[in-house]
Amino acid sequence: MISASARPSLPLASRRGRFSLTKSASLAFSLLALLTLAGLVLIFLVQSLPVWRQEGIGYITGIKWFYRANLFGALPMIYGTLVVAFIALLLAAPIGISAALFTAEILPPRVRLVLKILVELLAGVPSVVYGLLGILYLRNWVYHLLTPFDPLSGDTLLTAGILLAVMILPTVMTLSDDALRGVPAAQRHAARGLGLTRAETALGLTLPQALPGIGAALLLGLGRAFGETIAVFLVVGRQDNQPLAWRSLIEAGQTLTSKLGGSETNIAYGDSLHWAAMVGLGLILLATTVVVTLLGSRLAQRRNIHAE
Amino acid sequence: MKFLTSCCALLALASFTQAETLKINGSTTVNLPAAEGAEILRAEKKMDIQVDTQGGSSGGISALGDGQVQIGMSSKPVSDDDRTKYPKVKFNPIHIGEDAVAMIVSKDVWDGGLQALTKQQTQDLYEGKVKNWKEVGGPDERVVFFNKEPGRGTWEVFAHWAYGDPKKAPQVSLPEVGGNEETRNKVGSTRGAISQLSSSWADGKKVFALGIKTESGDVLQPTPDNIATHKYPMSRPLFLITNGEPQGEAKVFVDFMLSPQGQELVKKHGYLALDQLKTETP
Repeated sequence: MISASARPSLPLASRRGRFSLTKSASLAFSLLALLTLAGLVLIFLVQSLPVWRQEGIGYITGIKWFYRANLFGALPMIYGTLVVAFIALLLAAPIGISAALFTAEILPPRVRLVLKILVELLAGVPSVVYGLLGILYLRNWVYHLLTPFDPLSGDTLLTAGILLAVMILPTVMTLSDDALRGVPAAQRHAARGLGLTRAETALGLTLPQALPGIGAALLLGLGRAFGETIAVFLVVGRQDNQPLAWRSLIEAGQTLTSKLGGSETNIAYGDSLHWAAMVGLGLILLATTVVVTLLGSRLAQRRNIHAE
Repeated sequence: MKFLTSCCALLALASFTQAETLKINGSTTVNLPAAEGAEILRAEKKMDIQVDTQGGSSGGISALGDGQVQIGMSSKPVSDDDRTKYPKVKFNPIHIGEDAVAMIVSKDVWDGGLQALTKQQTQDLYEGKVKNWKEVGGPDERVVFFNKEPGRGTWEVFAHWAYGDPKKAPQVSLPEVGGNEETRNKVGSTRGAISQLSSSWADGKKVFALGIKTESGDVLQPTPDNIATHKYPMSRPLFLITNGEPQGEAKVFVDFMLSPQGQELVKKHGYLALDQLKTETP
């Protein structure tokens, strides 16, 4: 929508030579949105400057975070964020895509619509609700499940990953379903006409064609997983400086969002270096989410072109 | 993009409505009586009150400092650091009751025979020097220390007692817990768990408040008497904080909490009301 209105380089009163309110208003609002984003990034950059100056690249690669000793290494949190998001994706992808194949290829259209609405409702459930369910049931379940491995508690990176998987499942499923439905029906009919079974058509024809769209669904799900705060906050354990090892999967850890959601932001306020370190975490988070979302939208666009 | 623009619009809207709503934020400990007080005022005086517990006591102090709320709730005194951070704000703490922080443990530790700790033992547990409850006279079970987030009133009271000054407390990497509800739930459902929590939240069914063993061998329990006389070392005042003298709706709320009806609420949630205190707190 932005590219469409911001693209024309001709003066506003172009073509028919008269002023268009719609055009100029949408241009103004698009610019406003762009400026807001640019301003946001700029503020983050400026406010986090002191920590980049003090720690340099060590801010991203450092593994120790002790604010009172002025040690700021964000790697364990970046690691936590990545691990948690990828566990979520690993669990949500097979289930979400299979479910989408079912709704898009097998269910009659009317039932599909009802199911889709229900799933999309799930995507709108506030994350704190998921978080509380996580505290009440999931962390105890994980705690008992992992007993042979002797975890210290039910707050682990794995718990957060499973909870996130549930949360991004609706996104993954409904967008994958859209991608599958985007494959022209004529091709499906042709395949059936050639004698392919329903399963062969779905797996051999529709699925490969919808792959870019499904990729987009996964990336957008991943984007949501990166940014999710409250639900993760409640079950991840919030332990600083977790070791970057396999064992850490079943131990308490910290993600970028759980750190930012905690009480440390209040302590950091007023201490320019500590504050910069906290804002820097926000910047890293913003950067990761933007990259993943952009990639996702790119894939989604490519799918649209194919579908036309 | 669309989202950002609508956010701007929402923010603009929010700033219009702010003038009418009495906003309160801070400690989950003070929240219990305060939220109930707000409920009563909402019903009786049709006041528009919003009570929140973002970031605990220090969240309440900084929200007040930033002018986002008219009243901050805190279970720790306003420190000199806070006053330097917000030089323009006249922090005015209003004492509404008294509470105690206890070390709380899960049922298996309590049943395993551990019912009191010395200061030294608590420090060793906090710093990870003691990894099994056996070493301090408890059951053969690993220690899982859920640390209250630094910045929370509860944590500050604990650090004052154990290390003299929160700034002298060693920095540790422990799993952290925030609100009282979360703390109680997590300790109650984990074997070998310990944490710091407002003693009135220890229900004696799933989580248990430990006594403190003094050097002379006495065990001090967080009983109302011991809290009122400050014999129990981790007692703490509960505050509502305003910027200068409370005015308008904020004054109505503060006056209500200090009235007999409000003080009843303080008692109802297991804290000590002002008239139960034997000596004035500094």
